[in-house]
Amino acid sequence: MARSRVITHPLSRRQILKGGAALGLGSAAALGLRPSWADPWGQTNAYAKGVEEGPEVALAIRRESLPIAGQQTHPISINGTSPGPLIRLKEGQDAVLRVTNLLDEPTSIHWHGLILPPGMDGVPGLSFAGIAPGETFTYRFPVRQNGTYWYHSHSGLQEQLGHAGPLVIDAAEREPFRYDREHVLLLTDWSFEDPMSVFRNLKTAEGYYNFQERTIADFFADVREKGFSATAEMRSMWAKMRMSSRDIADVTGSTYTYLLNGHSPQENWTALFKAGERIRLRVINGSAMSYFDVRIPGLKMTVVAADGQPIQPVPIDEFRIAVAETYDVLVMPEDDTAYTLFAESMDRSGYARATLAPREGMEAEIPERRQIADRGMEAMGAYGMAGMDHSGMAGMDHSGMEGMDHSNMQGMDHTSMQGMDHANMQGMDHSSMAGMSDERNGMKASGMLAAGAAQPGSRYDQAGIGIDPDERRMLVYRDLKAFTPWADRREPGRELELHLTGNMERYMWSFDDKKFSEVTGPIHFDKDERLRLILINDTMMEHPIHLHGMWMELENGQGELIPRKHTLNVKPGERVSALITADAEGSWAFHCHLLYHMDAGMFRVVKVS
Amino acid sequence: MRKTLLALALGLTTTTTFAAGEHGGSHATASNADIDRTISFEAGDMWFDPENLDIAPGETIKFEIVNTGNLEHEFVIGDAEAQEAHRKMMQEMSGGHDDGGHGGHDMAEGEHGGNMPAVTIAKGETAELVWTAPENVDDLEYACNIPGHYEAGMSGNIDLQG
Repeated sequence: MARSRVITHPLSRRQILKGGAALGLGSAAALGLRPSWADPWGQTNAYAKGVEEGPEVALAIRRESLPIAGQQTHPISINGTSPGPLIRLKEGQDAVLRVTNLLDEPTSIHWHGLILPPGMDGVPGLSFAGIAPGETFTYRFPVRQNGTYWYHSHSGLQEQLGHAGPLVIDAAEREPFRYDREHVLLLTDWSFEDPMSVFRNLKTAEGYYNFQERTIADFFADVREKGFSATAEMRSMWAKMRMSSRDIADVTGSTYTYLLNGHSPQENWTALFKAGERIRLRVINGSAMSYFDVRIPGLKMTVVAADGQPIQPVPIDEFRIAVAETYDVLVMPEDDTAYTLFAESMDRSGYARATLAPREGMEAEIPERRQIADRGMEAMGAYGMAGMDHSGMAGMDHSGMEGMDHSNMQGMDHTSMQGMDHANMQGMDHSSMAGMSDERNGMKASGMLAAGAAQPGSRYDQAGIGIDPDERRMLVYRDLKAFTPWADRREPGRELELHLTGNMERYMWSFDDKKFSEVTGPIHFDKDERLRLILINDTMMEHPIHLHGMWMELENGQGELIPRKHTLNVKPGERVSALITADAEGSWAFHCHLLYHMDAGMFRVVKVS
Repeated sequence: MRKTLLALALGLTTTTTFAAGEHGGSHATASNADIDRTISFEAGDMWFDPENLDIAPGETIKFEIVNTGNLEHEFVIGDAEAQEAHRKMMQEMSGGHDDGGHGGHDMAEGEHGGNMPAVTIAKGETAELVWTAPENVDDLEYACNIPGHYEAGMSGNIDLQG
C-alpha cells in the first residue's frame, strides 16, 4: 500500500529514537508532552449533533418534527438529529453499521469516499435492494483508509431533507501533520420547501430560484460601458445558448438556508479553542446543490488533506469546496479573540457561518458578501461557439474561432471586451498557439499524455467563477500534491471520454447527451485495467463528479504526486482527467453530485469485470 | 532581538554529514571538544521529534537531524518573531501559486543563514547543527519554515530557563 510509505514510523522505532533523544537531553521533562496524534480519543471531537463511535454503530432513520433555523419543520433525522451524528471509525476496524429504516419509504446510506465491497456501498438497485420501511440492514466492511468523509442517503431526494452526516476515520498510524484540537464542520443547504416541489420548479421554469437575472437596467449599464451593438450581441448570444449569464447555481439562497453543523448563521454555532493551539478543521460539503467559498478572516488556513487523503500542506486564505468534497485545514489562532468561519455560497445568494472562539457567546464581524459574477467566456466556450455570429461585436475579430480553434488568435483585438474574463479561455483548443509546446512534449508515442500531466483545456490554476485571484490566496486544484506516488504507477492503457451535457431550460442533465433512463448499459472497466477518464464539461455550470468504489487520481500536472479524490469539480468548458485503477469488481455508481442533476439523469453505472 | 540573534550567530556552525565527510575529521573534532551534548533529532512529515527541548543557557549542543520524511525539511532556531518573518519571506518567494517545488528554500538558506542557525536536510539525509544556547533569553522556537510545514506541525519550543 502506498500509504505505508507516507507513514513509516511504527511505535517501536519511534520509541528508540525518543530514547536516544532522552539520553541526549539528560532530562525527561522535555518529553513530558505526549504527541497529540497519539491519543485521538483525548482530543476534542466537537460536533454539534453527537458522536457515534465504531466499530459497532446503530442508526435509526426517522422523519420527525425538529426545529431548523428556529422554525419547526419536518426533516429526516438519524438517531434523533438532522443532519445526523458524527460516525467515528478507526482504520483497521471491521465496521458493523446497523441502519434501521423508520420512514414510510425505502432508504439507504452511502458511505461517501470509502473503498469497500460493492454490496456495502449503499446504492439501491445497484449495491443492494435498499432498506425497506421497518427493516434493518447491517453494513459490514473492513476500514482500510483514514480521514474525513461523510455519509448520506442514496435514495431519491432524501439527502435534501438532512439525511446526511460526517464520517471520520482515525488513522492507525501517524498522519503527516500535527494538531491539538479538531472540529468537524459540515455544510448543508436546507429548504423548507418539499424537495419534490423544488425539483418540479426547476423542471418547469429554469431560473426559478435565480433572482439575479440581468435586467433592463443592467442592459443600459452595459450599453454605456460596451456600446450598443456589443451589448445586444452578448445578450443574444446568451439567449441562443438558452442560458443566463447569471446562472451560477440553479437552486439558491432564495429557498436555501445554509447550515453549518445543522445551525443557521443566526444561531451561530461556536467551535472553541485556546489561543496558540493548532486546530484541525474537517470541512465537509454535504450540500445537495451548493458550492461554498470558505474563509476565516484574520487566520491563514493550511490545507493538509483533500477528500480524506493527505496532501503536502498549502497555506491559503480561502478555498472553494464543491458539493461532496472534503478538505482538512489547520489554523493557529494566536489571539484570545473570536473569528468568523464564513462559508459564502458560490452564487453569493447567502452564507453559512459559525464562530471560532475561546469562549461561548462571542462573535466576530461577518464579512460583506461579494457581488454576483457573470459567467464569462469560459461558459460560452462550453457551448462551442461555431456557427454563432460574432460580427456585431465591435472591434473583435473572431474570424478564426470556428470550432474554437484559436490558431489565428495573434490578430485578435480584445480592447473593447472589458468585463469579460479572458483568463479563463483555456477551455478552448489553443493548440496552434505558441507556448503550448510544453504540453505537447509530455505526449507519449501512443498519442496520449504522460500519466499525471494536465490536459490542455484544464484550468487547475483557477478557483472558478466569482473569485478575484488577486484579492487573497485561494486554493486551486493545481496545489494538491500527494506525499508519495500511489501504488499503481502504470501508464493508462486507454482513454475514456465523457461529456457532461445538459439543457438548462428543460432541466435535463446527462453524460454524452444521454440521460440515465436512455442509456442501454453500464460503462465497462476491465478488472485491474489502468485507464484515463476524461471529463469534458459542455455545460455552463460546475459539476462535482463522483465515482464510487475506486479512487480517481486527478491529473493536475503534479506528475507522480497527483492527488487522489472521490469527487472532481469540473468547471464550465473545462476538460479534466483522472487515472483510475479498476481494481474493485462489481457495479458502481458514477454521477454528478448535484442532487437534482443526478436525479435528472446525470448518472451512469460503471461495471468492473 | 538583535542581541539575541547575534548571540545565536556566534554560537553557530553548520555542517551536513556530507560536508563533514569531505572535510575529514579535523573540523568535526575541533568543534566536538566544545560540545556539551548531542541531541538526536528526527524531522518527519510534518513534525519534529522531540517536540520540545530544555537547554541550559550557554550549553553547546550538537543536533543530529535525520530527515525521515518524503520531503525536504529545514531546522531553524530563532525567536518566534524571527521565525515568522522568515516564514513570510519564504511564502512570498514561493509565489502565490505552487510552481512545482515547495520552493524558496534555496534562497532562504542564504538569507536566514545570516540571522538564525539553520540547516536544510534532503529527504533521507542526516545533517548536523552545532549551536550554543544564548544566556539572555528564556524561550526560542525551532521550526521548518518551508511553506506550510510550520503550520502543519513542524515547530517546537526551547526552554532556556535552565
